[in-house]
Amino acid sequence: MSARAHKLINRPDTIVDEMLEGFCAAYSDIVQLTDDGLITRAQSKAQGKVALVIGNGSGHEPAMVGWVGQGLFDVNIAGEIFTAPGPQRIVDGIRAADCGGGVLVCVSHHAGDRLNAELALELCEAEGIDHVELVILYDDISSAPKGQEAERRGTAGLFFVWKMLGAFCEDEGDLAAAKALAEKVRDNTRSLAMSLSSCASPITGEVMFEMADDEMEIGMGLHGEVGMGRQKALSADETIDLMLPPILEDLPFAEGDEVLVLLNNSGSLTLMELFILYRRVAQRLDEAGIKVYRSWLDAYATTQEMAGFALSLCRVDEQLKALWDAPANGAYMKQI
Amino acid sequence: MTADQLADLIERMAARLLAERAVLNRLDAATGDGDHGSSISGALALAVQEIDALEEPSPQAIWLTTAQALLNGMGGASGAIFGTFFLKGAARLQDAQRISQVDMAALLEAGLAGVQARGRAQVGDKTMVDALAPAVAAFAAAADFPSAWRAAADAAAAGAESTRDMLARQGRAKYLGERAIGHVDPGATTIALMFAAAADTHTAE
Repeated sequence: MSARAHKLINRPDTIVDEMLEGFCAAYSDIVQLTDDGLITRAQSKAQGKVALVIGNGSGHEPAMVGWVGQGLFDVNIAGEIFTAPGPQRIVDGIRAADCGGGVLVCVSHHAGDRLNAELALELCEAEGIDHVELVILYDDISSAPKGQEAERRGTAGLFFVWKMLGAFCEDEGDLAAAKALAEKVRDNTRSLAMSLSSCASPITGEVMFEMADDEMEIGMGLHGEVGMGRQKALSADETIDLMLPPILEDLPFAEGDEVLVLLNNSGSLTLMELFILYRRVAQRLDEAGIKVYRSWLDAYATTQEMAGFALSLCRVDEQLKALWDAPANGAYMKQI
Repeated sequence: MTADQLADLIERMAARLLAERAVLNRLDAATGDGDHGSSISGALALAVQEIDALEEPSPQAIWLTTAQALLNGMGGASGAIFGTFFLKGAARLQDAQRISQVDMAALLEAGLAGVQARGRAQVGDKTMVDALAPAVAAFAAAADFPSAWRAAADAAAAGAESTRDMLARQGRAKYLGERAIGHVDPGATTIALMFAAAADTHTAE
């Protein structure tokens, strides 16, 4: 499957600015674009609550711009395409978010995201901005073996952290409790992704990696990082039968557990394909005695037009179920 | 070296990386997302512009301005790592007006230590450290300034080439496993090009 080299953009060097302008114009009831390019809530949260900030590379829309809003993030700092923003911009984001209850800086674990967030925290310390904490989040079982979870990268499954942490911080003034909640969701979440195609960099127009028409790759990262290896493309059921068992074994998820399920479209799969994939996930979970509490099927974190998906599971207890069901109003995450 | 010579050094590095931008992008496409050359040459071009605009271009201000252009103008892991190299060097400069070979060696060593602490990379991990560490050592061991830059450039080039057969242990290339073998690390190549540009700069103590 070929990547789509021609994209409907104007100029490679204005992609991010123009995209943010369009996004914030389209959803002006939810978000606003500040003069220095930060995405903030149209109405900020109550004073004294923990504010949530995330910086990330662009090119994954609707992540993370679509997650700013009530019950979700306070500020998103969008970097260049697939490139984490630099430390000074993260500090700007921290200042903009702070509403007196401390600021939790969330990092979807990749070298650039972590290094720049660490530098930003050092700058905060030097500038006397206190009550700022960092939480490193990861979920992709293909990126490091069990036992080395902290080496893993952050992918689509962090969806669960954003939703539940957002709900928690809407009414929470304790920064340490917020960080602990984020870690709790992270530690109950596992993901694995696959792709049938490559994608083209919107900057260079070049494909990010080569992939033959009859191949698939299991363990795909969010930026076209290749995973565990290539194989012949399989059917929907065969693909789920290959991907679900290692996810279940990794946590491990056990009979009697309740889970949230995400099938995240990485770009150009059809909803038809996601439904067929989900059918098999539901069958297999039922056989394993694992109960699905809620499921979500859509494109939440994309890699341009890559034809693939991530399967993510999160084990929930009563606290997490209540947080999942709490209201949220982001442009691409709504819960009534 | 005087402040003027340091500014000239950064300008030559920027020009060299701009000229080799497509080569670096191609190297990065093999193990990364294919934009390393564009982003680092863009950040150094920004550094040159901002150095030109400095009211008091002291050696420290030049090094600090370069650090900030890399950190904030580039972003990503490379911006953080290359930026840290100049940031830690700048901290060593204080109010020095002329930089001796010994000063420069100390400044490069501080930069290397900062890069290793920040990126948690060792020699052999297939990163820019594989070019930087031998370059810094060769620089310190040389007899005088011009031969120090030349020795450092040669060591950096050999170090960059040595990454070809390595498995990556840091950054996104590590997910490639054995598929990264056969590809030279773009960050290490950038370091080699920067030292090559420095070796071509006329230096006087």
